[in-house]
Amino acid sequence: MAAKTAAGTIEPKKGLRAFISKNTNLVTFVSLAILLGLLTRGRSFEWPSVRNLMIAESVRAFAALGVGMIIITRGIDLSIGYVVCLVASVAASFAQTSDYTAALYAGRDFPLWLPFLAGIITGGLFGLLNGVLVAYGRLPAFIATLGTMSVARGFQLIYTKAAVVGSLKDSYKTISQGSLGPIPNLALYVAAACVVIWVLLRHTKRGTNFYAIGGNAMAARVSGINVERETVAVYTYAGILYGIAGCLLAGRLGLANALTANGMELDAIAAVTVGGVSQTGGVGTMSGMVIGVLTLGIINYGMTYLGVDSYYQLLVKGFIIIAAVYFDMKKYARRS
Amino acid sequence: MSDAGLEYVLEMVGISKSFPGVHALDKVTLRVKPGMVHALMGENGAGKSTLMKCLFGIYREDEGEIILKGSRSKFHSAKDALEAGVSMIHQELSNVPERSVSENIWLGREPLRRIGILKFLDHRKMHDDTSVLMKSLDMDINSSERMGGLSISKQQACEIAKAVSYDASVVVMDEPSSSLTETETAHLFKIIRNLTAKGVAVIYISHKMSEIFQIADEVSIMRDGKMIGTHPVADIDEDALIKLMVGRDNTHRFPPVESRIGELRLQVKGLCSSNPRSFRNVNFELRRGEILGIGGLVGAQRTELVVSIFGLRQVSAGEILVDGERVLVRSPRDAIAKGIALITEDRRGSGIFPLLSVTINTAVASLGSYLNVARFLEHRKIEAESQKLNEALRTKTPSMATQIQNLSGGNQQKVLVSRWLMTMPDILIMDEPTRGIDVGAKYEIYSIMADLARNGKSIIMVSSEMPELIGMSHRVMVLCAGRHTGTLEKSEATQESIMRLATQFE
Repeated sequence: MAAKTAAGTIEPKKGLRAFISKNTNLVTFVSLAILLGLLTRGRSFEWPSVRNLMIAESVRAFAALGVGMIIITRGIDLSIGYVVCLVASVAASFAQTSDYTAALYAGRDFPLWLPFLAGIITGGLFGLLNGVLVAYGRLPAFIATLGTMSVARGFQLIYTKAAVVGSLKDSYKTISQGSLGPIPNLALYVAAACVVIWVLLRHTKRGTNFYAIGGNAMAARVSGINVERETVAVYTYAGILYGIAGCLLAGRLGLANALTANGMELDAIAAVTVGGVSQTGGVGTMSGMVIGVLTLGIINYGMTYLGVDSYYQLLVKGFIIIAAVYFDMKKYARRS
Repeated sequence: MSDAGLEYVLEMVGISKSFPGVHALDKVTLRVKPGMVHALMGENGAGKSTLMKCLFGIYREDEGEIILKGSRSKFHSAKDALEAGVSMIHQELSNVPERSVSENIWLGREPLRRIGILKFLDHRKMHDDTSVLMKSLDMDINSSERMGGLSISKQQACEIAKAVSYDASVVVMDEPSSSLTETETAHLFKIIRNLTAKGVAVIYISHKMSEIFQIADEVSIMRDGKMIGTHPVADIDEDALIKLMVGRDNTHRFPPVESRIGELRLQVKGLCSSNPRSFRNVNFELRRGEILGIGGLVGAQRTELVVSIFGLRQVSAGEILVDGERVLVRSPRDAIAKGIALITEDRRGSGIFPLLSVTINTAVASLGSYLNVARFLEHRKIEAESQKLNEALRTKTPSMATQIQNLSGGNQQKVLVSRWLMTMPDILIMDEPTRGIDVGAKYEIYSIMADLARNGKSIIMVSSEMPELIGMSHRVMVLCAGRHTGTLEKSEATQESIMRLATQFE
C-alpha cells in the first residue's frame, strides 16, 4: 500500500488487546459459554442443550436482525412485540384445523402458504407505516413506533376478540417444530435469513447506504443518498422479518394469544446492543447481532439452570441492556 | 454608574490565545471608556469573536488580564459576566419565545413570594419591575406579551433591557443591525444613545461602515489576531479604515493556476432563494478550467447560494444552465447526475462519516457506478479506485480500512475531494476548502485545485480568506447580505476592492 502512515495519525493497536477490543461481543459470548459449561459440568455443551437454545432463540433472532438494521441507520423500533403478536394471530387464524368449531374461520380450510403470506404482508405493512412516519412524517422513531405498537395491539385484540387462536394444523406446526436430521428447522431458517442480511449489508449499495445514513445523515444527503427512501426500506425490511418471526412463532407454540411475543422488542434491542450494534448509528454487523442473541440466550439458559426466579431474570435483563448501552456510549461518544 | 472617576470601565490587556496550529490572539489590548460607543472591526477571522469569548469566559486566555472598573476580574461563564455588569447581545437572539417578555427578562432570578415554607413566583413584581425598566429606556413594549410574537427588533430591545436590568456597565453588541430594517436600526441607535447617556459603555461589532461613523465614538481595528490600533472616529475615514482592516502582506503562497479557460459550463440566471432573508437575483457564469472565487463577509449568504445550486435548499426563481441546457436541481442526486459536486464547509457536520472507513468515505457518492450484473457491489474495484484517488492526492492514512475520524483535518479533506472526484464531476464547488487545516496541507489542497483546473474541471471556491480568493481565483464574485455586489477580474481583485464590495450594504 503506497498510502503512507503519517506522524500524528493513530496507529492501529496490535495483539490480544486489540483483538478483544475489536471483538468484545465474541469474547463475551465465548467466556459466558465456558462459564456456563463449567457450572453445568459440560451439560450445556451437549447437543440437546444446544438444540434447545437454538429453538428458543430463533424467533428472537429474526426480530433482532430487523431492529439491528434499523439501529444501524440510527433509528429504533418499539413496535416489535405487538407486531409479532398481531402477525402470529393473523397467521394462526388461517392455519386452524377445519373441524375446530371455535376457529376464527370455522369450517374453512386454507392452503398452507396463506398464513405465511398474510403474516408477512401484515408485518411488512407495519414496517412500511413506521418507515413513512419516520422518514416523511419526520416523527421521532421512538414516538412513531410507540404509536404503531399500540395500533398493532388494538388490531390484535379486535381481530381475535381477545381469544386464543389455537388448534393449529399439524402440517403448519411441523414447519416450525420439525428438524432436518439433528438440526431444528428453525435454526435453518435463521441461517438462511443471516445469509440474506449479510449480503444486503455487505454487498449491496442499499446496505452501505444504511451505514452512511446512521453515520451522518446530513453527509449522506449531500452524497446523493435518498435518505427518506432508504429509511422506509429499512423499516419495511424489518417489518417483513417480524412477519416471518410471527408466523414461525405461532407454529412453534401451536397457538397465538394477546401475550404472545410480549416484550420481544426489549429482547431484540438488548441482543443487538450486546452484539455491538451502536446506538450512535452506523456501526454493527450481521454476525454481531447473532452473537448478541446467543449471548442473551445462554444468560437466560444459565439463570434458568441455576434456578433463578423468572422475575429476577427480567431484572437482570434490564441491567444488561443498561450496561451494554452505557459501554457503547462510552466507546463511541462523539468527541466534542 | 458611579465609576466616573475611572478613565476606562473595561480594560483587556495583553490577551493571547492559541489553538493547535493557530495564534488566534496575539497580545491584544482593548480599553473601553464609560459612556462611549466603541466599535470593533476586522475581517472574518481577525479575532473579534475570540476576544469576546475570552471576555465572557467561554475561552480561557493563555495570558493577559481583564480589568473591570479598576479591579482584576475573571469570568467563568456568561452568567458570571452578566452579574458583574458585562453583557452581550448576540447576533442570534437567545430568548424563550413561548414565554412572556417579563418572564424572559427575569429568567433564572425570578422574584419569589414566600407563603409559609412554600415559595411562589411573584408575577406582579416581575410585571411592575419590567414596566419601570421599559419606561426608563423609553421602550414601548408590553411586559406580558409573548416574546416570540414580537418583531426581531423589539426582541432585541428586550435583550438590551435585560442587560440593563443587571445593572450593566458594558454591553457588547455583535452585528446587532444585521436583521433590522433602516427604521429599526434608527430606533436601536436611539436606545444605544440612551444607554451611553446613563454611562454604559457599548462595544459595537459591525462590518457596516456607515453605522460606525453614525454611532461610534472610537474604533478599534483587529487583523490576524493582533490589535492594529484604536482611533477616535472623528479622526478617520472609510478608506483609511479599509486599509487598516486588510493591510497585510500576502504571506501565503499559492501554486500557479495555469489552465486554459474554455467554453461555458455553468450559467446561473436571476437565482433567488426561497428564504427572503437569503440571496436574491444572483447571476454568474463559469467556464471550463476556471476557478471562480466567491467572497463576502459572514452573513453574505455565500454558502446558501452554493448549497441551493446543489439542490440542498429551495429556490423561488431563476434558472441554472449546465452546458447551455436548463436543468432542474431539486436534490443533491439531481446535481450529481448533472456533474456537479459539493464539498461542504462543515467537514464534521455534513462531510465525513467519522466511524466508517476511508474506502467507504471515498466511494459513498458513486456506489451506483460499481455494481455488477446482480447489482452487488464490486468491492475490489471500489477499493482499487478509492486507493488510486487517495494516492494521487497523497492522502496520508495508516490503511484504507482506517476510520476517517483518525485522520488529520487536511487528510480528511483530501478524502472528501477524492469522494467527489470519484463521481467524475465537471463542476466542483468547494465551500471553505482549507478551513481548519494546517498551512502545509493548505498548499497541497491549492495544488490539487490548480491540477483540476488544468485538467478542464471548473471550480467554484467559497472562501473567507482574502489571500486565498486573490491567489487562487480567475475571477472573484462578491456578495453582500445576499446581493451580488460585483465581480472582479484577477487583475482588479485586491483586498481593498473585495472589502469595498463586501461592505456595500443597501
